[in-house]
Amino acid sequence: MTNRRENAILAAPLVLFLLAILGFPTVLALVYGVSDTSFQTLTSPEFSGLANFRQVLADPTFWQAAWFSLRFGAITAVLQCALGLALAVYLAPLVRLHGWTVAILIIPMIVAPAMMGLMYRLVLHEFAGPLPHYLYQWLGWSPAFLSPAHVFKTVVVAETLQWTPFAFLLFLTAYQSIPEDLREAAAVDGTRPWRRFWTIELPLMLPTVWVALFIRFIDGFRVFDNIYTLVGAGPGGSTTSMSIYIYETFLRRGEIGKAMAAAILLFVTAFLALALAQRLTRKAAR
Amino acid sequence: MTRKMHLLATAAALSLLSGLAQAEVTVLGWPGGPEETALRAVTEVYNAQPDLAEENKVELLFTSRDGFFDKLQVDLAAGSTAFDVNLIATYSIGRYAPYMEPITLSDQAGAVFGDTVLKTMQFDGQQYGVPTDLSLHFLYFRLDLTDALMADDAAKARYAEISQQHLGKAMEPKAPADWTWEDFVANALYFSQSVNPDSPTRYGTVIQAKNLLFNMMVFHSWPRSYGGNWMDDAGTITVDSEAFRTALSQVKMLFDLGATPPDSTSYEYAEANAAYAAGQVAAMVQWNAAAGELTAAQAATGTTAPPAGPDGKFTHIHGLGLGLNKAAENKEGAIAFLQWLSTEEAALAYAKAGGAPGLAAETAAKLATDRPDLVQVGEYASTYGFVMNGGTSEKALSVYEAQAKEFTGYWAGTQDLDTALKNAATAMADLLK
Repeated sequence: MTNRRENAILAAPLVLFLLAILGFPTVLALVYGVSDTSFQTLTSPEFSGLANFRQVLADPTFWQAAWFSLRFGAITAVLQCALGLALAVYLAPLVRLHGWTVAILIIPMIVAPAMMGLMYRLVLHEFAGPLPHYLYQWLGWSPAFLSPAHVFKTVVVAETLQWTPFAFLLFLTAYQSIPEDLREAAAVDGTRPWRRFWTIELPLMLPTVWVALFIRFIDGFRVFDNIYTLVGAGPGGSTTSMSIYIYETFLRRGEIGKAMAAAILLFVTAFLALALAQRLTRKAAR
Repeated sequence: MTRKMHLLATAAALSLLSGLAQAEVTVLGWPGGPEETALRAVTEVYNAQPDLAEENKVELLFTSRDGFFDKLQVDLAAGSTAFDVNLIATYSIGRYAPYMEPITLSDQAGAVFGDTVLKTMQFDGQQYGVPTDLSLHFLYFRLDLTDALMADDAAKARYAEISQQHLGKAMEPKAPADWTWEDFVANALYFSQSVNPDSPTRYGTVIQAKNLLFNMMVFHSWPRSYGGNWMDDAGTITVDSEAFRTALSQVKMLFDLGATPPDSTSYEYAEANAAYAAGQVAAMVQWNAAAGELTAAQAATGTTAPPAGPDGKFTHIHGLGLGLNKAAENKEGAIAFLQWLSTEEAALAYAKAGGAPGLAAETAAKLATDRPDLVQVGEYASTYGFVMNGGTSEKALSVYEAQAKEFTGYWAGTQDLDTALKNAATAMADLLK
């Protein structure tokens, strides 16, 4: 048996699995995306060309959701990576000595995002939540965390607190993989730690930085669970992300074709972002 | 070996057939809360009937409340046979009607429930369900606060001053049963520390204003009392009306002046109740289901019908009920159960077990000792209950969704009143065409 044939046989189960799990829904999404489909006509969609895409692109709520997702994805990705990088570099000596500290630092990541949303809904409630309670007790005042004026900042902070450990783990691995002799050589030459970080360590970690930024951006861009359970679509749709827009269009309004068209647009955007990130990563590696 | 295999196969086939013979009526109910408890209780009564065939006994199925109606939509559209009878609500009958079958209720149904309540389960003139629970709204208020206000001349003068400043006329405090919506607003402003720093409560009211369809139902009693409706008899959308403008502006005033918690734009039922239960809210309009919880938290709580507008007092009503899945495998058994459920025996058992059926006065009177609250619910439903024109249509849920998005946007200050009403009217014209 040739290697090629062996590879094909070994890869077949995975390929079949992916085709079943991802391929079928993708084909269905494409069919519904170019059809006039409702729950009553799920099995007999009528071809409608690009009408759904035109409807989506003409819908102000779609653009509002796209702008929210873009802002949310970009801000949370930058914050998580900046914090994760700082923590990784600062805590690396501690982690080297006590490896178990990593387990504590990644606890927020283990909680399901939907549960995190529900938890904040309780914690931040003006009358039932401990945080406003103590702020009122100590300062006689508390911000309304989920009011229109603060809700965006609140969901950004919630997402950052949960997913910074992910960026931290990536950066810690990258930081620990930098050869120790490079640091020693720099130290022998009298290079100060700050300069060593900027000129040696950070450039070596740059490919990881790009990957982390990309992953966190995509995760933030398609955010759903924690925001939906915390504040829903928001007053006037102010916390409607792309995923929430698709969910509500599909299930709440029953406009299946339009929801699928929006999902395809989201997929294309993510795909283009992936291609761009790969290019940047390769460039950084060179 | 071959003989053993034959025996095994025969045994398997027999057990499968016996399983089919014992097929039961599966009922998908509303999970959690008093509705589940009551349904379990009546099911036991039904299954205990001596002449009930084994294959027609009722088995209950519950999922989570989260996204219940979305999951039900998908199940029904897919022709699921996992249940024979399923939950429906007034506002979703039109959406689910294509996947359900109309039913005929028992002869007693009219007398047990009354026409107003039976209509909450009708679509296109046909009965799609047995009404099991009725929801409407009460005005909850702190008796201790309103009594103290009405007994204190200095407080009355301050009340008049505040109402003059914000509502343009000096008003006198009244008993909550006599309130108009202007009295409700004046009372809310007086009991808000942002307006009246001496107020014993932080907020005069709490408006649950999360972008959520159920919150629109709570709000609708307000514009309806000013004569508002979704559309007129000719089918013209009438949401962009003076009635909706007045009601929306009055709520906006409460937000702008800090008479409701600033983050109540993220509140739904539980959060609003928590605010009232904490003793920091003087009065609120809330579902009747909250009566026990709010009264337990604040003993001096009084309840009455929502305030009046120029057209009188109104309360949104809707029913939860059980109807027949078109794809049901045991239709005969399911219909028998639904007919029994619409008898007086079943309605009384359901109510005694904690459910909240909307009962006609004569039937409710039989529960005056066990469930006095149901007498009040029945009275308010028949006197003040309303369903907006188009409120049971196929796209009724989407209309609520569209209004929730636009109106909460106005209250939160993300858009002006004209834009909110224009967008709502456009969306409704598309949905109700």
